[in-house]
Amino acid sequence: MGTRAEVDVVVIGGGATGAGVLRDLAMRGLRATLVERGDFASGTSGRYHGLLHSGARYVESDPISARHCIEENAVLRRIAPGAIEPTGGYFVATPEDPDDYLERFPAACAAAGIEAEPIPVDDLFRAEPLLNRKIRAAYRVPDAALEPWELVDANLASAREHGADAHRYQAVVGFERDAGGAITAVRTRDARRGEEETIACRAVISATGAWAGQVAALAGATLQMKPGKGSMLILNRRMTSAVVNRLAPPGDGDILVPVHTVCILGTTDITVEDPDDARVTRGEVEALLADGERLVPGLSGARILRAYAGSRPLYDTQELEGVAHHGESREISRAHHVIDHGTRDGVGGFWSIVGGKLTTYRLMARDVVDQVAGALDVAAPCRTADEPVSEPAGRSSYWLGDRLAAIEADGGGDADLVCECELVTSRRLTAALVERRDSSLDDLRRTTRLGMGPCQGAFCIPRAAAMLDERRADGRLAVTAPDANAALRSFAAERFRGTRPIAWGDQLAELWLSAGMFRGTLAADSLPDTSGTVDADR
Amino acid sequence: MPTADVVVIGAGLAGLSCAAELVARGARVYLAAKGMASTHWTHGGVDVAALPDAPTTRAGLLALAAVDGHPYATLASHVEPAVDAHASRLAAAGIGLTGSLDAPIVRVPTAIGALRPAAFLPDAQAPALEPWRGEGLLIVGFDRYRDAWPGYAARNLALADWPGGPAEIRPVTVELDGLERLHNLNARSLATLFDEDPWRAQALRTIEGAIPPGAWRIGLPAVLGTASHQEVLGEARALLGRGAFEIPSLPPSVPGIRLFEALRAAILGAGGRIQVGFDVVHVERRGRRVAAVHTEAASRTLRLAADRFVLATGGIGGQGIRAGVDGGLHEQVFGLAVTAPPPEQWFSDDPLVPHPIETAGIRTDEALRPLDAAGSAAFENVHVIGSALAGMHYLGERCGDGVALASAYRVAGALAAGSVVA
Repeated sequence: MGTRAEVDVVVIGGGATGAGVLRDLAMRGLRATLVERGDFASGTSGRYHGLLHSGARYVESDPISARHCIEENAVLRRIAPGAIEPTGGYFVATPEDPDDYLERFPAACAAAGIEAEPIPVDDLFRAEPLLNRKIRAAYRVPDAALEPWELVDANLASAREHGADAHRYQAVVGFERDAGGAITAVRTRDARRGEEETIACRAVISATGAWAGQVAALAGATLQMKPGKGSMLILNRRMTSAVVNRLAPPGDGDILVPVHTVCILGTTDITVEDPDDARVTRGEVEALLADGERLVPGLSGARILRAYAGSRPLYDTQELEGVAHHGESREISRAHHVIDHGTRDGVGGFWSIVGGKLTTYRLMARDVVDQVAGALDVAAPCRTADEPVSEPAGRSSYWLGDRLAAIEADGGGDADLVCECELVTSRRLTAALVERRDSSLDDLRRTTRLGMGPCQGAFCIPRAAAMLDERRADGRLAVTAPDANAALRSFAAERFRGTRPIAWGDQLAELWLSAGMFRGTLAADSLPDTSGTVDADR
Repeated sequence: MPTADVVVIGAGLAGLSCAAELVARGARVYLAAKGMASTHWTHGGVDVAALPDAPTTRAGLLALAAVDGHPYATLASHVEPAVDAHASRLAAAGIGLTGSLDAPIVRVPTAIGALRPAAFLPDAQAPALEPWRGEGLLIVGFDRYRDAWPGYAARNLALADWPGGPAEIRPVTVELDGLERLHNLNARSLATLFDEDPWRAQALRTIEGAIPPGAWRIGLPAVLGTASHQEVLGEARALLGRGAFEIPSLPPSVPGIRLFEALRAAILGAGGRIQVGFDVVHVERRGRRVAAVHTEAASRTLRLAADRFVLATGGIGGQGIRAGVDGGLHEQVFGLAVTAPPPEQWFSDDPLVPHPIETAGIRTDEALRPLDAAGSAAFENVHVIGSALAGMHYLGERCGDGVALASAYRVAGALAAGSVVA
């Protein structure tokens, strides 16, 4: 067991909120470190639909959240343009959507400060020819596509520039408290090597979203979360060039977000006990498609690449505020909430930040850091909205053509391509491997988009595993790096998990193809077990 | 006027070999296929049966023949003559096929360094079946060719449980001239380069120069030519030793392309007709008989009338059977009944183990005529062959090629002997 240098604040959770909190702390001059149990942005942040909210979705159901969204929408366009594709968005009324909602919508948007411009449906159909011709009204809103991995990476990079550090695969296993109950240190365990460490600190911020209840329990506090599982589908191309929302109260299958070369249809909402429950059921898939058909007729005949689910960080308002509350998780407020466990549970120096949207991560970070900085007698104000988030180099955020141009400029040809679907070169992958030591292939996917295209890894998995093995053999990677055979198996399993709920039509045939390659020609099922270390499989 | 005696639908191993057998026996055959099929994806050998506890291929075959509902239950006795006929056709095209039902099962190295049980291999891969006699295995890759991984393969093979294997395993990557000029560098484009004489001679000398002192069997990427494969293989073995052999990797499969071309030549040479890119869009029924199928390509519809129809569309992988969103499985040409486990039982959790859905397919009577849901023949003049047949784990049992060949041979023999062929 080792002890790191003491810090002012330990941030738990490496999603967008945690990364934003770390950056905010560092910019106020606090010494801070972040620990994440898996890879950065591998929880809810990496498992959402990719939308930068205008807030219009919540103008009726949750006006506070709506206002937060539109304010932060403007801030993020200013400070993190590298993570945003300014697609614009529409709210459209299909024949099934209620008249009264349509009538109230413009005023509700105006009240929340959201610009919603009515546009003639003919103009809508010219811009988005695949949309349902029975759509009877449309409003343009400032929605956009927001890339979570880019955003989290950039926030962490900025935080590091301001002197903070962040560590992956460090699970919090316990806390040390003084006689008065206040937290004095955080104990972590390396998820791969099992080593434990103790980080002495003055304060802890739990930015663990749907998992905040579990972390609070470790500290001796109670926090009742109500994780809302949201399932989404990835369609193999962009059905629309802008975000399209149903003009109706929030429901399943009510949004299409163009992301990179694909688009995402979201989102179901099911209250679950366990935030790690990310199974997508066939019933959810069918519900999403049935509703998606109302936006784009024929959509369910399109090729679906993958299904996935994230856990919304919703909390039980009844428990928090004594407000009577019943009903499904969709009706629970999306607005965020800072919880001071010192005043609430007698666990001093411990705060949780729960609720909120990815769009509002910076605001959430500001609000919790305001409280923590105050408690630590630091007067420096929040500056995260003033300074651009640093931009990681060498990464085009959304246009495949940019990557192609870079490859061409670098000598051209495709011999160097490991992943042909997403144009990932061996040079890019090697750089990511070396730079992010100990990464699983699934982690590298979040950095490079490896295996995220139509073949879902059939071709690039053996190529990437072989490359990983070469880099271990030539010493450019530590021998503690994940073993190539284990990496191959776990990445194949990870890609398979997302295909399974949508295994019909072309994608089922695609599974035959990859099975024929892996189990037939390559006999990957009989690879020797060479794992000295375990490849994280999340 | 019928278009042909027999219309075969599908251009995978089953459809091609059935058509080839039929034309060899004097039938007029029209083969229509939606697209290129399994040959372009697979290793080019013949997997008949490989079960963990079966010491020989024949033992595996007999074990599967005892499984209720397995295609081998009715086809086992046709496997040997079918493989012989297949080997003769390949020999005529200069490819050859080596292997035995009765020899102990041999495991051969794959491109990632796993060991794959093999029954019959084309000549170019066959030295991998021969016992190792103290020589080493040198695995060759080419700089810039991304689908050969000699280092990874060698390290895995060194750790593999491989009794009687090579004395030593070493990787080497050689730089071949001009590869940087190829914009699309894959097995197919490399094979085209090897077809060219001056380039190939230099490439083979470069490889020869990379062989360390001592006795080595050379494992090469499976790219030793297509049109000039025989010459390429001959020259490679003259220079690199008679044990030089190909190791297949990711698609496009050059051994599979050779197989496709050999069977196509056999069919066309005996007067058969082949149309690839023709999707069946309509079926003319006359009671329990099919009178004709209509295919569509580009702008034109073709009516293909025949006495007999052979469905060789390859099951789910070949998209002869497609699943709907609701998990319902639909045979695409004749709307035949599909037998399958319920959707919630389709998959195992690990993608690298057999999945129950892989047994989905069409149940047939002994003459391989499709059965309807009630268990009687759905059509009198339709026969189902290959991976569209229900009841097998084509990968887990490594029986897909054997079932394809045996069912094709069985149907071709019966149809040629019957009234449809004079």
